[in-house]
Amino acid sequence: MAVESEVVVVGGRGEKEHFHVLAVDDSVIDRKLLERLLTVSSCKVTCVDSGDQALKYLGLLDDLHNTINASSPSLHSSHHEGTKVNMIMTDYCMPGMSGYDLLKRLKGSPWKDIPVVIMSSENVPSRISMCLEGGAEEFLLKPLQLSDLEKLQPYFPKFPDNSCEGESTSADEDNDQDNNHYNCNSISKRKATSAEPREKSRSKMKEYN
Amino acid sequence: MDVGQMQRQLVEYTKSLFIEGYLDSQFLQLQQLQDESNPSFVAEVVSLFFEDSERILKDLTFALEQKIIDFKKVDAHVHQFKGSSSSIGAQRVKNACIAFRGYCEEQNVNSCTRCLQQVKQEYFIVKNKLETLFRLEHQIIGAGGSIPMVELSF
Repeated sequence: MAVESEVVVVGGRGEKEHFHVLAVDDSVIDRKLLERLLTVSSCKVTCVDSGDQALKYLGLLDDLHNTINASSPSLHSSHHEGTKVNMIMTDYCMPGMSGYDLLKRLKGSPWKDIPVVIMSSENVPSRISMCLEGGAEEFLLKPLQLSDLEKLQPYFPKFPDNSCEGESTSADEDNDQDNNHYNCNSISKRKATSAEPREKSRSKMKEYN
Repeated sequence: MDVGQMQRQLVEYTKSLFIEGYLDSQFLQLQQLQDESNPSFVAEVVSLFFEDSERILKDLTFALEQKIIDFKKVDAHVHQFKGSSSSIGAQRVKNACIAFRGYCEEQNVNSCTRCLQQVKQEYFIVKNKLETLFRLEHQIIGAGGSIPMVELSF
């Protein structure tokens, strides 16, 4: 079987699936950025532009009556059109339903165990604690960078020889696993070639000769 | 101008945009996300930013022309603009938005109107600069050259 550089989760029936993130943001620019960041991190991404759209996607909103179907029988766990959602990343400040509102609704639904990450351009400590206390796994400050996605590594599925947690690039040894294949080469490589995180100083100016 | 000269010109121009504060490190992050599999990523994001910004500026102008100004609405638009400009690294636009929000809070009409002009100005300047940047890149590619990497220390 060809080695694929993707984060692969083995589904219940043994088929390979990708780590699927549902991204919720009313800004078209931020959706595009997040989609690219997640794709580069080897995730499958679905973008929606509001909390309502997110709930609809998850099958929690009845289009006709616009009510929450908390006990919807269609929720054979977390499937929508046969696609499992592994994580939800949502902007905090959105018109209509806020990211926090969405978080609360999710925690009161059959989706309560799916990790939710909240993003915001504003660094408001009380907002951050409120979200974390409300059940959010992480709170990320915008604008998002690759280094922020690294904070989400713990939520990606773990395998015994996972070598993506550090700066190690010894992931090559892991490629021989067959079904349970977690190839983090793309993440390691990108770390090696990407710009250093904001906090560190960058290399000196390179003059073009 | 040969390819080498064009490439040097691009490097100098890019560096100047960072040194003069038009762009910040977030723009570098966008460039990092571009590769052979997604060779137009930066241009695509910037293009979305231009469309979105022009819509927001129209909305802001309209909101501030009203007899009775809804400062909450004005602030919401500015917040949006601050977010998008921050996401692409358009530092001066972002900073102009931050100042603008301060005056929205004070509900100061005159200052808000002045801020809108400021934000518009900064936007059109950075738009012009980015379009120039892309033009220089296209010239290089058209002449068979490759885009040189620019590394900067902050």
